[in-house]
Amino acid sequence: MNTVVVTNVVKSYGRYRALDGLSFTTGPGVTGLLGPNGAGKTTLIRMLATVLTVDSGTLRLLGRDPSAERLPIRRRLGYLPQEPGFHRSFTVFEFVDYVAILKELTDRRERHDEVRRVIAEVGLAAVSGKRIRALSGGMRRRVGIAQALLGEPELVLLDEPTAGLDPEQRLRFRDLISRIGENRTVLLATHQTEDVAALCGRVVVLDQGRCAFEGTPEELRRVAEGQVWLSPERSGMLSWRTGEGLFRNIGGAPAAARLVEPTIEDGYLLLLGDAAVGVGS
Amino acid sequence: MSDWHVDDDLAARYAGGDLGGTTAASVEAHLLACERCRGSVAAAVPAERLERLWQGIAEVVDAPVPGPFERLLRLLRIEEPTARLLGVTYSLRWPWLAANAVSLLFAVYAAGVNDRWGLLSFLALAPVLPVAGVALAFGRGADPAYEIGLAAPYSVFRLMLMRAAAVLVTSAVLAFAAGFAFLGNWVAVAWLLPALALTTLTLVLSSRFDPVYAGSALALLWLAGISVFAVRDQPLAMFGAAGQVTALAVALVAAALLFLRRDRYQSEES
Repeated sequence: MNTVVVTNVVKSYGRYRALDGLSFTTGPGVTGLLGPNGAGKTTLIRMLATVLTVDSGTLRLLGRDPSAERLPIRRRLGYLPQEPGFHRSFTVFEFVDYVAILKELTDRRERHDEVRRVIAEVGLAAVSGKRIRALSGGMRRRVGIAQALLGEPELVLLDEPTAGLDPEQRLRFRDLISRIGENRTVLLATHQTEDVAALCGRVVVLDQGRCAFEGTPEELRRVAEGQVWLSPERSGMLSWRTGEGLFRNIGGAPAAARLVEPTIEDGYLLLLGDAAVGVGS
Repeated sequence: MSDWHVDDDLAARYAGGDLGGTTAASVEAHLLACERCRGSVAAAVPAERLERLWQGIAEVVDAPVPGPFERLLRLLRIEEPTARLLGVTYSLRWPWLAANAVSLLFAVYAAGVNDRWGLLSFLALAPVLPVAGVALAFGRGADPAYEIGLAAPYSVFRLMLMRAAAVLVTSAVLAFAAGFAFLGNWVAVAWLLPALALTTLTLVLSSRFDPVYAGSALALLWLAGISVFAVRDQPLAMFGAAGQVTALAVALVAAALLFLRRDRYQSEES
């Protein structure tokens, strides 16, 4: 069953079109939303979180239309914004408990049990009484994920949850997100292709508000098959010098080049061209 | 170590809570030093009871400590979830309330020194304070968890109204107290309808603008209006009968608009 169905969605801010006729579908498991800055990932995630409305086109979330049935969708939704704000004087427990009230968990005992459950699920039980201002950035992200898991939502939206984390923290997040995605639909907005390779069963690549690719990570990798080369000289296409002193070139074959196996990142770069590396398109 | 140990019967009575205080204390002192007896007592404790005890302990340790305003609301029989949602509001906390009270005291002191201009300063200030309080009670600029709350099922509109009402009541109580204590006549409440009109308008504009900007713009307009009449040597004109009727009409129209536009607060428009 498709939990998320996006059809010809348009969203503009003044004259700027953040989403320009975007269409894709996805279901249970972890789906990665890849795209360069400004591709429309955050706008899309906020729209799926029912925070933003569409200008035109249609959305179906969990089988419902958010413009007419916002409340039942919100009751089955978990959302971690790109920049989640915290009441910094709150303890971890107090903050998650506050969000639990906003999620209509009114019975105090049941609510506190649920708060303890999600705090334990993200591995923060030992710091549950600690003030949020005293936590590291990685721990705050986990607090953000904990609140998104309240009430066992069927659709979890995570906007850049691994941005700015060190490799060890990112590894922990991957473990956590893969567990969350075992029995739910998780949409993960990111520009880290490693996260997509490690976590996602499906990937949607956004470019300038449109869907540039929809498929599995393996299919994204195959986009660059036969087009990634190692050569002693830089070619005129996307290329960079590797640690071995050779240039990794994506696109047509340069002189004296050796064909190598592509990665998901190669497929992504080939798909988006200069836009992916911020040169402009 | 003594040869005495906790037998099965004693372990069962201890686990069941049937021992007297002195005997239970002796058993506990012994358990601290005897691993064998800890094992036999642990086996006698029903897992369900142990779980319940731990839950109780966790509840005591984890339970959020309510602030003074939240405790006051609980005393007034406001339900715990509502009291918590109100208690986190910046403009319902002591620093804000204290700043409000001090501002009002300065204004009423000025009114005592100079009847006309002092009274004007009090009447001009009294509506601005609830507007500022309401502007800082909700919205992206005032609530760090605003975005998370916007995607939650709890109605943003209801939350906004509850916080605005609480701010209005606390501001009004302070202004009433200051006005009656130091001015001692009904002129001291001439600010009430303008305050109601300005705060309701702030809420209406907040469907389109950040409440802080909406409140600031309205407060500046209000002070500009007062200044215009003051320059014309009619400093209290906005608080006369015509001014009060206008304020009431504005408040009613704004309340109607607020009701009609209530759905716009549930999500953000571009």
